[in-house]
Amino acid sequence: MSVDGGELERTLGFFEAMTLGGGTMIGAGIFILPGIAARNAGPASSISYAIAGFVALLAALSLSELATGMPIAGGSYHYVNRALGSLFGSVVGWGMWSGLMFASAFYMVGFGQYVVEPVPFLDGRGYIILLGLTGLALLTGVNYYGTEESSSLQNVMISAETLVIIVFVVLGVFFIVPTNLEPFAPSGAEGVMATTGIVFISFLGFEIIATVAGEIKNPSKIIPLSMILSVVLVTILYVLVMLVSTGVIPYDRLGDSPIPVADVATSYMGPIGAVSIVFAAIIAAISSSNSSVLAASRVIYAMGRDGVASEWLNVSHPRFYTPHRAILTTSALTAALILVGLRVDAIVSLLAEAASFSFLVAYSLVHVSLVVFRRADPDEYDPSFSLPSPLYPAVPILGVVLSVVVVSQMAPVIVTIGTGIIVVGVVWYAVYARSRVVGEGLLREALRGPPTEVYRVVVPVANPETQHGLLRLAAASARANADAGEPELVAVNVVHVEHESPLQNVEAERADHQRELLENAQAFADEMDVTLRTRALNASDAGAALLDVIEEEAADEVLLGWRAEASQDGGVASPTVATVLENAPCDVALVALRGGVGTPVGLVTPGRDATSVARRVAEFATVDGTVPTLLAVVPADGDEAVARRRAADRLAEAAAAAGLDPDEYNTEVVVDDDVEAGIRAALGEYQTVCVSRSAASESSDNPVAHVVAALTGTSKNVALVRGSGRPTPQSVD
Amino acid sequence: MPPIDELTILVPVDISVADPPGLDIIDHLEPLEVVLLGYFPVPDQAEPALIKDEYEDEAESRLVAIAEGRPDLTEVLVFTHDREATIDRVADQYGCDAVLAPGAVTDIGRVLVPIRGDVNLDRIISVTARLIEASDATVTLFHSVSADADESYGEFLLRGATERLEEFGIDEDRVDWELSEGGNPSQEIIDLGNEFDIVVLGESEPSLVDRIIGDVLSRIVDDLESPALIVRDTE
Repeated sequence: MSVDGGELERTLGFFEAMTLGGGTMIGAGIFILPGIAARNAGPASSISYAIAGFVALLAALSLSELATGMPIAGGSYHYVNRALGSLFGSVVGWGMWSGLMFASAFYMVGFGQYVVEPVPFLDGRGYIILLGLTGLALLTGVNYYGTEESSSLQNVMISAETLVIIVFVVLGVFFIVPTNLEPFAPSGAEGVMATTGIVFISFLGFEIIATVAGEIKNPSKIIPLSMILSVVLVTILYVLVMLVSTGVIPYDRLGDSPIPVADVATSYMGPIGAVSIVFAAIIAAISSSNSSVLAASRVIYAMGRDGVASEWLNVSHPRFYTPHRAILTTSALTAALILVGLRVDAIVSLLAEAASFSFLVAYSLVHVSLVVFRRADPDEYDPSFSLPSPLYPAVPILGVVLSVVVVSQMAPVIVTIGTGIIVVGVVWYAVYARSRVVGEGLLREALRGPPTEVYRVVVPVANPETQHGLLRLAAASARANADAGEPELVAVNVVHVEHESPLQNVEAERADHQRELLENAQAFADEMDVTLRTRALNASDAGAALLDVIEEEAADEVLLGWRAEASQDGGVASPTVATVLENAPCDVALVALRGGVGTPVGLVTPGRDATSVARRVAEFATVDGTVPTLLAVVPADGDEAVARRRAADRLAEAAAAAGLDPDEYNTEVVVDDDVEAGIRAALGEYQTVCVSRSAASESSDNPVAHVVAALTGTSKNVALVRGSGRPTPQSVD
Repeated sequence: MPPIDELTILVPVDISVADPPGLDIIDHLEPLEVVLLGYFPVPDQAEPALIKDEYEDEAESRLVAIAEGRPDLTEVLVFTHDREATIDRVADQYGCDAVLAPGAVTDIGRVLVPIRGDVNLDRIISVTARLIEASDATVTLFHSVSADADESYGEFLLRGATERLEEFGIDEDRVDWELSEGGNPSQEIIDLGNEFDIVVLGESEPSLVDRIIGDVLSRIVDDLESPALIVRDTE
């Protein structure tokens, strides 16, 4: 069961994701823009659609990886904000929000055109604008009150709309007049590119799949598959629609029509064709506009969460639970954009191009963000779908280049408007967001390259009195392994709860104690200038919870504090400690600290822990900068010289396996038929003793176990060491 | 089919309303395993995470309040766009045999079990047997013969089901059956069901039409005032 309270439901499967992506994309763009596209680029405008589709595909690829890497609401905005910091986050957030408003206004004006034009007695721009505003008002109302589980009706509508387009294309192919397709590109390559900038808006919507990543089942498969497939299929469909349109009606005549696709359909399907296209266009306009309003409120939510926008917008309606303020604000601004159409002739293409501009800028920053994430490789970024080589880095590079090319061919007025929005984003960041945002971008990390390995020591802490000693020892251990990775400590505290329910409230007092303890650990780590992270847990089984953390953190070592109340068989007091000691998948040291470390001695006994004992004793020695001793005590068994040589060999072997140079340690070999007495005598001068856990507990009448039991009553520090069982890397030199 | 070892019942509760009705039925379900699912319906317009941010604490305390004094519940809290999908998912995850639609009830004394056909029948019978075995409740098995069907098939079904219940150790005095020729099963189940304390219904895979206009089962459940226990079809 999740520990962080409520879960979010994952309800979207492949089919749902495809309908969502495809349905949002196939919208007003394809019904309204073919006229404008044909006027600007002739039959070659189908190539504009193909290029725009390719640019969208590149963005979809990058977004797929990012969405599986961090499935959090907000889509493009979120990735850019996280990767490049809140300056770019503000720019993209504002860009996307305004882009969605441009798009929504565009859809609603298109909606007006498709309703007004076929009706003979309605005429004039006033009606178009009025209808657009009416449509918007209805959508706003529906969204304000909220809808639930309406997906089946929506799916039927979107399927019907798609079916109409497919019939249009399939039948239309037979009515193409080849001479209409000549000249193919009357305005040349430049015209084709310029048109690409206008028609790119037709592809808005695939991103919604990334935006709802957190609600998609089996995201690693379904997100990339549905994003890529929906973009590819829609691109093919658009290219065919454009070819049929320009092939059936000469492009210059098509360019004059505000409802081009309906005109084309009329010419070979008669009134039925016209009616079905008008029907499909209206559904498309409404569904696209609706999605834009929803997407906008999601972007605003994400911006509010990061402190980039005001949280005021994010309050949901107390009864309908809709983000009503965000919806109303978006709609009001969209209405203003629609009203501009009363004055401006080319409103449709302007709105389309402005929306395209915003999203091209956003997507190029998304590509950059992907590179940043890959290079900085932060902990929270763990994509289950990664672009394979050579798609990475080809996709992000090509994506940025193509976006820049398309933007550079846009009309000057659009570039001015777009730049204006970017400036608003920058100014907004400077005056509002900068002081509020939490968290920095990853640019610096990305420039530095992927982080070095980390050598991580996990330290469960419970007692404010003893935790400093433990942390000091842990820091020394981590630092002694600096060549294996950046030293890092993780302090963990577990508060015991009866029921491990997410709803269980820990008593305030114990929670406070936990926080104080961990804050104290943090402060001490800062004093020692070592990286420390803290983990606060509530669990009914502290041992299992600790093991989970050790596993999650991929710890290299665990350092446990011990009150040293070993029973005679060397068994350790608490079941929690025993669980960790027996099951941790890494080296574990159970340390009873009573004073300064001084010069530590490692009792090297035969068995698998010998290497770990040598490693620990060398690490502990760094606390006071001493040279550790490796000690072997063996019975003579007849030939003392042979016994001595064998023991010395064993020490050298253990030290070599632990990666110690011969000048980093001393050895001491004691030959005594009474091993226990020998050990006791040899330990005399040392302040800290490291012993293999297995040697200390093999059986109760084992001399090592006796010694350990005896040591618990002294002032010496005692460490029971257990190896991970993993092969220890051999020393290179 | 062997009887179900441990009958686990999912009780979904709309946790967005302050005072979820009819939950005293949970107390009548002991000693069965009960999974209490508090779902918070999120409209399509809202990001689930937004609603979670805002209402998580409130929803949690409501769920805790319901669970209080009922120690053996498993509580789950979910913020969802799709209630049905959540119920299905959670029921799968916790191995629930049946889903309870709450309603006003004071005691599970009389149980109505409408039977439509062979589908899912074994599970319906074993869940019913488990539900009442610890009590002295009575069961009425019910079948409505549709206009063009053979009446003897209905009788055959009901007799078979009665025998199965007896095999599960339910005394024959506690089981009777009723065969109707009214020809409108849904309405009959609703009318009859309201005279009972609880109605045990079998889940069936909805058809495409059902998905669009709402299926028969959910209409019955909506119109019933008594609680309904919907036995999941897990085969």
